[in-house]
Amino acid sequence: MKLSLVRFISRILVVCMILSPLHAGAGLIGTDQVLAAGEAAAARERIATILERAEVARQLQAWGLAPDAAKVRANALTDSEVIELAGKLDALPAGADSTGAVLLILAVVLVWWLFFSK
Amino acid sequence: MSLPQSEALRASPPAGLAPRVELGAVPFHVQEDFLCGPAALAMVFNAAGAPGDVASLTPQVYLPGRKGSLQAEMLGATRRNGLVAWRVAPRLEALLAEIAAGNPAVVLLNLGPRLFPVWHYAVVVGYDLEAGEVILRSGRRERVVYSLGFFEFLWRDADHWAMLALAPGRIPATAGEADFGAAVVALERIGRLREARTAYRALLARWPESLAGLIGLGNTEYALGDPAAAERAFRRAVVAHPGVAPAHNNLAHALAALGRMEEAEAAARRAVALGGPMLAEAEKTLQAILARRAAAPAGRGTTP
Repeated sequence: MKLSLVRFISRILVVCMILSPLHAGAGLIGTDQVLAAGEAAAARERIATILERAEVARQLQAWGLAPDAAKVRANALTDSEVIELAGKLDALPAGADSTGAVLLILAVVLVWWLFFSK
Repeated sequence: MSLPQSEALRASPPAGLAPRVELGAVPFHVQEDFLCGPAALAMVFNAAGAPGDVASLTPQVYLPGRKGSLQAEMLGATRRNGLVAWRVAPRLEALLAEIAAGNPAVVLLNLGPRLFPVWHYAVVVGYDLEAGEVILRSGRRERVVYSLGFFEFLWRDADHWAMLALAPGRIPATAGEADFGAAVVALERIGRLREARTAYRALLARWPESLAGLIGLGNTEYALGDPAAAERAFRRAVVAHPGVAPAHNNLAHALAALGRMEEAEAAARRAVALGGPMLAEAEKTLQAILARRAAAPAGRGTTP
């Protein structure tokens, strides 16, 4: 009798344990961290990337996005993309194409060729 | 003017590459001015079975101040829609191999002179080796044919940039374990857990001992509420990569979630013993397990 009661309580405790993960502060290590751990990655580098990501979000805002959209879009990038992007949003290629632009460039080149090339 | 990649391709076509492919089922989305990014994404998303059109994708990838879309954001938007975003190697041969495998590719081209570039995204949907041609959907034209040489000419200023948007579970034909693993990790990172889990399973079917795959599968299973499946994945991880402390750490968490506290403690101790950059995390895990065991040992009542 007593043994089955003890078993019953144990089962409840086990269920409670499944429902509550380990104490706050102790967590699973993220997949990206596991893969980066081989390099000289340290807490310092991770903080740097967090700052860079915030910087990219700020720059996206400067180029016309609302703050929420800028944050969401910056978060969709990998760490290495963020590092590549930060500070270069004005210079990197932005695929656009308009027929207008092509014609303009052709016109400029034509004008140059007609009037300036010897 | 040298166009080495197309020259090499015509000189000796890769063995096993189908001579002619056209992915006619790739839908066409006409682009408005400046919106070639959203249009290109819409085409490859639909081809991968995901919804999307220029209207819905413009806010995800178009940058008003630049009047265009940045390459990194093309990848980011792909992930946000639950698809694996993967960079093709910057070689014509690799691009054609992906087309032959049924994967249409978004490419960045420079339609203008090098000094005054006119950047443009198009979608490659086919090629013909004998005719020496590439077939694209581009701008307002559903079917554009360029010679291989001309395509390379337009493509080289963009450093031969190309990307795929893949349904989870699909692996690119020219993928390696590391680069595909990284692409799936990027999907997990932004929280598309179900899609990442499917992609990790595919990764592991092809590369059964992939560290990215085993940790990623374990982490996504745990996050999706299946600690038993997580435990199985982490168990495989510690067998294949016994020196990787985080594998033991995460295994400890899965075991703890299953109530197997003695095994959890053992795994946590192994993680701590291995040291490394994640030592602090491992120590926290061990402390949490010991605290749990002290507070509610098996068979006794609950603590007050």
